[in-house]
Amino acid sequence: MMQSQAVALEAPPGAAQPTGTDVIIETRNLSKIYRDFWGRQKVRALKALDLEVRRGEIFGLLGPNGSGKTTTIKLLLGLLFPTSGQALVFGKDASDVTKNERIGYLPEESYLYRFLNAEETLDFYGRLFDMPPEVRRQRTADLIHLVKLDWAKRRQLKEYSKGMTRRIGLAQALINDPELIVLDEPTTGLDPIGCREMKDLILELRDRGKTVLMCSHLLADVQDVCDRIAILHQGELKELGRVDSLLKIRDVTEIRASGLSDAAKEEIKSVIARHSGQLVSMDNPTSTLEELFLSIVQDSEARPGRRARVEQ
Amino acid sequence: MIIENEYPPYFEWLLAAGINPGALWIWLLTVFCLLVVGLLASFIVLTARHGPAKAGDLIFKALAGVANDVVHTSPRRVYALARLAVQEAIRRRVLVGFMLFILILLFAGWFLDPGRTDPAKLYLSFVINATSYLVLFLALVLSAFSLPADLQNKTIYTIVTKPVRPAEVVLGRTLGFAAVCTGLLVVMGVLSYAFVVRTLDHTHSLTADDLAPKAPTENGTVPPNRTGTTARHRHEVKSDQIKRLAEEGQAVTETEQGHYHEITAVTRDGVTEYRLGPPLGQLKARVPVRGTLSFRDRGGKPAEKGINVGNEWMYHSYIEGGTPAAGIWRFSGVTRDHFPNGVVLEMAIRVFRSFKGVVDQPILGSITLRNPDTRVEHLLENFQAKEYAVDQHLVPLELDNLEDPQGPKIDLFGELVSSDGELEVEIRCLERAQFYGLAQPSVYLLRREGTPWVNFAKGYVAIWLQMVLVTAFGVMWSTFLNGPVALLATLGSMVGGFFVTFLQSLALNRSLGGGTFESLIRIGQQKNLTEQLEQNFTSAVAVGLDKVTRIPLFVVSRVLPNLRELNDVQYVADGYDISADLLAIHLTTGLGYFIPVLLLGFLFFKLREVAK
Repeated sequence: MMQSQAVALEAPPGAAQPTGTDVIIETRNLSKIYRDFWGRQKVRALKALDLEVRRGEIFGLLGPNGSGKTTTIKLLLGLLFPTSGQALVFGKDASDVTKNERIGYLPEESYLYRFLNAEETLDFYGRLFDMPPEVRRQRTADLIHLVKLDWAKRRQLKEYSKGMTRRIGLAQALINDPELIVLDEPTTGLDPIGCREMKDLILELRDRGKTVLMCSHLLADVQDVCDRIAILHQGELKELGRVDSLLKIRDVTEIRASGLSDAAKEEIKSVIARHSGQLVSMDNPTSTLEELFLSIVQDSEARPGRRARVEQ
Repeated sequence: MIIENEYPPYFEWLLAAGINPGALWIWLLTVFCLLVVGLLASFIVLTARHGPAKAGDLIFKALAGVANDVVHTSPRRVYALARLAVQEAIRRRVLVGFMLFILILLFAGWFLDPGRTDPAKLYLSFVINATSYLVLFLALVLSAFSLPADLQNKTIYTIVTKPVRPAEVVLGRTLGFAAVCTGLLVVMGVLSYAFVVRTLDHTHSLTADDLAPKAPTENGTVPPNRTGTTARHRHEVKSDQIKRLAEEGQAVTETEQGHYHEITAVTRDGVTEYRLGPPLGQLKARVPVRGTLSFRDRGGKPAEKGINVGNEWMYHSYIEGGTPAAGIWRFSGVTRDHFPNGVVLEMAIRVFRSFKGVVDQPILGSITLRNPDTRVEHLLENFQAKEYAVDQHLVPLELDNLEDPQGPKIDLFGELVSSDGELEVEIRCLERAQFYGLAQPSVYLLRREGTPWVNFAKGYVAIWLQMVLVTAFGVMWSTFLNGPVALLATLGSMVGGFFVTFLQSLALNRSLGGGTFESLIRIGQQKNLTEQLEQNFTSAVAVGLDKVTRIPLFVVSRVLPNLRELNDVQYVADGYDISADLLAIHLTTGLGYFIPVLLLGFLFFKLREVAK
């Protein structure tokens, strides 16, 4: 889906390289209570959230539906006002619109004006950043190319499929070459190839020094790209840390080797037994469905017309 | 008819006009009072929720935020948002309104009577009112539903997460929708004017037989020479014009239905044909010079007012016929430069008959001109008061000496106008026991004729102003109400705006029949407006409730724009030029409402949560 575009994704001149220590997002005791018309409490969506997202990392907010992920993002973007506590982005209060100069936001459903076409959409959002016309035109062309929508750039968004809408949504989020990219369920509506490309792009953005905050309930996506995650449940922070250390099973050892004979395998089993270890499994690993799908599509693109091999 | 609203010069109106302190100061005072009341109310509510310190902090932050937003508003962003609003309006089939207008014009001819006394007035007021209602309706719907739709579709998320300030969202929407409606208004205006001109255009047949001397009828009267009938009227051709036609080949008809025609005689092969040109003088833009009116009572002594003849529209004062009672207008600036061809005097005088007499026979009066310095006076003519019509009299540069027909003529500017350009015009009623109703604007000097289409365009500026205000109100309400409720609130503001005067009379207890609750009881008890209510508990409660509701009514009536007053349709329809002063007053008034409404919109949108 996405092509690597140096122009479109370049870090702004003078932008800090990832140091891992600059705090981009900070929440202090952030709470949100939804109330009804009469001011009565309806839902306590977020309870005293303390969080820090550092420059250059991909931070994932995880949790089931209604856990407070989207509320947190809305509070950080100033779409909601906190009931108590504070949300700071680039050291500024979330209600300060000047912070938005450095933010790109892809909402859950790509809420865009369906009567505009791709070019008009990007041009419109470019204007909101007070961009000069020539810069706007250049970035519009680059981003449309990046999200591979050149062929549909003059079509109104109402004619777009869900995947295409996500792509143009992503392009609008990148129009200002933001330092912080907030992605709400970024892979929703994308096919497996689109998902893979979205994940690759997120990683590429990180490599270019951008900070990414994403929320998703697709755990595999989060696991694939996030450096750190926070797990929310019923508005409370339940877990926070690096993905690799959180997922590491410390008392299980995994050895992967190829070309072993049956005798060698038996010998390994005996070694484990000798050291009082417990063999959990010794099997041929399986690939993921995503990997299988991607390899088939790549193969099909390389050799068009080849029939599928049917296995009963 | 005659336009009776008078306006002071712009700066006098803005800064100080007679006993009025000036519109600017009243505006500042009103804004200040509303601000203080608003802040106090907010402080009380917020204190109850957060305590006084936090309440003060929140209010300060809100006000500082609005000020900051206003200062940092980016024209490029506002333009982008306005452009989006235009695209959205077009997508929402705003052009359907335009099609409706075309349909109205196409079928208007079926319902408009071309045989009326003043068809130009009928057609003009029809097209202007049709345009006005359509454009206001469009502005209402567009503005009230746009932001709520954005909030519901959540498209607003991608806007407010850009460096866009709430002020820019509100301003962009308002300007965008105003731009759409302006475009429509311009096209409708051009079509309307073309429709009026095209519909009024006609000619009449005229033959040699029509111009031949007529034989007297049985009762001895000689029928007039008249043109053929078109558009349910015909024109008389006076004998002097028939003579002129024979000598010069050119003449004019008498005025009928507010217009006349030029007649050209063309002789071909010994046969003379008469051709009538298009209607002339139908669309007018009269620029009047107003005078100040004083009275003389039946004893000939100066009086402040004339007689009150009962409840016969109190605006006019009446003078009694057959007595020295008179209405005297004093005009300034009557110079040869302004009136090089003589002075045209126009008057619209009311008549009150104390006995029926011959109903279709006008009441006789006299016009006397007087030099206010030398007191030299001259009877211009005796005239017949034409009710409900503007009667025109020409005062030539040299007047016949009626007392000495053989003597030298009277020089208008040399003898009757004072050296500083002042002239008095005295109107008297000559018939005993009949009365003339006079008001200051009843008599004026016609300084010049303005260009009708320019005046028409000025009339559309007034509609434009109303439309901009409706749009601003619509967007303001929609910043915190959902679509249908915002529509109702805007509609309420509009209706209130059209009935501000009535609301004020209710608020000040000047309305016959009492306030809302008292009127309800009257309706229930089928009592008329003047009948005394029975003194009982119910009526006491109703009167008490009316007293309480007068306060909010007073505030509302003072805060809402008087949309009826901003409408200048009457000027265009009646053929009076909308003066630059009047236009400036209306534009400033509009701006006086537009700015606070926008600021309120900024504040409401800033204080609301965009997401749910």
